[in-house]
Amino acid sequence: MSTILEVRDVTMRFGGLVANERVNLAVQSGEIFAVIGPNGAGKTTLFNAITGIYEPTEGAVLFDGHDVRREWTPRVAATGFAVGVASALLAVLALNVTALWQAAVVGKYVYGQPFPWGEALATVPGTLHAAGFWATWGVAIAASLVGRLGFGAIWHSQRRTPDLIARSGVARTFQNIRLFPEMNLVENVLVGMDQHFRCGFWSCLLRPPWFWRERAAMRRRAFELLKFVELDRYAGDLARALPYGYQRRLEIARALATGPKLILLDEPAAGMNPAESADLMRLIRRIRESGVTVVLIEHDMKVVMGISDRIAVLQYGKKIAEGTPEQIRNDPVCIAAYLGTEVIH
Amino acid sequence: MGAPRKMPWKMALALVALAMVPVVEPSLPQRLAISEPMTDVFVYAILGMALNVITGFTGLLNLGVAAFAAIGAYVFAISTCEIYPFQLGFWPALALTMAVGALAGFALGAPTLRVRGDYLAIVTLGFGEIVKDVLVNLDSITKGTQGINPLPPPTVFGAELGSRGQYWLLLAFVVVVFAGARSLERSRIGRAWLSIREDELASRAMGIRPDHAKMLAFATCASLAALAGALTASRLSSSGEPSNYDFQVSVLALCIVIVGGIGSVRGVLLGAIVMVGMNSIVLVKLTEMIGNTDAAGASRLAETHGMERVWVFITTWAQNVLLSPTNWKFLLFGLALVLMMMFRPQGILPPRAEHEAPPEDEGTGPAPAKGATP
Repeated sequence: MSTILEVRDVTMRFGGLVANERVNLAVQSGEIFAVIGPNGAGKTTLFNAITGIYEPTEGAVLFDGHDVRREWTPRVAATGFAVGVASALLAVLALNVTALWQAAVVGKYVYGQPFPWGEALATVPGTLHAAGFWATWGVAIAASLVGRLGFGAIWHSQRRTPDLIARSGVARTFQNIRLFPEMNLVENVLVGMDQHFRCGFWSCLLRPPWFWRERAAMRRRAFELLKFVELDRYAGDLARALPYGYQRRLEIARALATGPKLILLDEPAAGMNPAESADLMRLIRRIRESGVTVVLIEHDMKVVMGISDRIAVLQYGKKIAEGTPEQIRNDPVCIAAYLGTEVIH
Repeated sequence: MGAPRKMPWKMALALVALAMVPVVEPSLPQRLAISEPMTDVFVYAILGMALNVITGFTGLLNLGVAAFAAIGAYVFAISTCEIYPFQLGFWPALALTMAVGALAGFALGAPTLRVRGDYLAIVTLGFGEIVKDVLVNLDSITKGTQGINPLPPPTVFGAELGSRGQYWLLLAFVVVVFAGARSLERSRIGRAWLSIREDELASRAMGIRPDHAKMLAFATCASLAALAGALTASRLSSSGEPSNYDFQVSVLALCIVIVGGIGSVRGVLLGAIVMVGMNSIVLVKLTEMIGNTDAAGASRLAETHGMERVWVFITTWAQNVLLSPTNWKFLLFGLALVLMMMFRPQGILPPRAEHEAPPEDEGTGPAPAKGATP
């Protein structure tokens, strides 16, 4: 059994507030792992740090042994270079457009005569030279620097983003359900499957045969997923029209649609009645059986103790215990965290 | 291999009726002639559908869509007008216009990816003003407030189109843009746009790249708006002056989208017919009617009764600016928007949920699934 998710010394600081402090977790592939703790213990923050919504202040999140980040590939470098050249051209053109136009078009075009393209283009260097060194080369260099640095800065701030994490096989649900309310169930699931589509803009616009084949295959898969969470009857309904418990299941189906190896469920049983949470436990077991590792945050102890293989307990942003349900149930530190300790005067 | 969903019969009927307008018009009285103002409706329908891509689908409020139309009109004018050396044909110029429009969309989209909501509205508003000012002040190229003219009439396979042909050409463009917008809406591209509108964080967490999707939306919007601008220029045989593409045009396009039903392509078509139809047809015809009846009635009164004073009174009354419905148009627009917001905030024809048949039953529905299921 291999470690699928490793959280190594992750600290999340927001100004003076420390939401997570040196948290270490190692989730084995194929297990159901629960993170519990009192309200405000930093569980959701940890999920956000894992899924790329936050960048950990310190520490690293390793998925299958890799820190998922965009690489500085030749293609990225070439794009940056192209952005620089485009900015330079645009800036020089913007500054000298009137002079260039006067020399090349007004100067060379005689009404009704064919336009001498060669002669017109030959005026360009002369015009730029006449504009002076700074108005051309100075501006070009400055603009290309601004363009490249801007591109670099944006690229750097986007190295570890939620979409990249989702594409590398980690899916999640949200504590306060975040479906696409005005889209129907199938479309919600299909958004999750977006990364598996091959059709690009032009195929979607012109709809060649392979567009229809892919569409049919993807819809079939979406219905399978809806059937998996037992919502296929409501396929055409808007997500906002679903009862609360169903919305949670739809969110799970949407997360599974991304084709994850690891799924993070943030309080999946919140607001559910006992029958619904029993259903949910069965669903989570089936997800594990389908080969997806499950990490969940949960307050409902019946659910946590019932399905987890291992449990980690957070309090005030620190991990205070980790072990099997049996060990956690009997751990004095955890009991103290949940029930408080007796103060003897 | 499958064919797209069948066109609903209502829409086919409306299309046939619209296509018949220039044919039956010559046999109707002059005051019922609407083919000229209808071309306005078509151009605004394209502009509305362009805006709908970014504001309706992607949920980014854009108040500068007129700037893209202006860019389109001027690029088209410069590349076709005989006072310039380029003199491209109608179709190559249109292709160039849409490509430049898309680049302008990228140019506005790239730096504003992180800007959202009201802030984006302000940025796009500023962009609209900048483009207009540049067009005025770059007068060595754009001829300033004169506009660029004359432009050659559109051609199809080498044949120049008359006014009737241009009407049909514009109608055809509306149909093509409509079909394209619908195709995109019901594909992964449209779903990505919609998911960003619904919940950007959730869509990122599902693996959608919002930057790519937003840039694509900006480029598509700008390209279509540039097409609308080019078609206007071609119809008027002039780029028009820069102030023809001011904030009012952007607002009218936005009103079309909101009144029709934000995010609904069919709604936008209806919105264009309602808003621009009211503006260019109903109000204009009403004004003409009031002017005519008063003049005719008053002169008859004056003749039969010799009542000079009545004549003077009625003619001055008829010239009263308040009596001309075209002068009331912004009041009526405002009223229409307020009433819409109060009683039907989702628009006249809001987007509706698709019926989803499970794959097994799909054989009875659209053909593609049948072909794909052995």
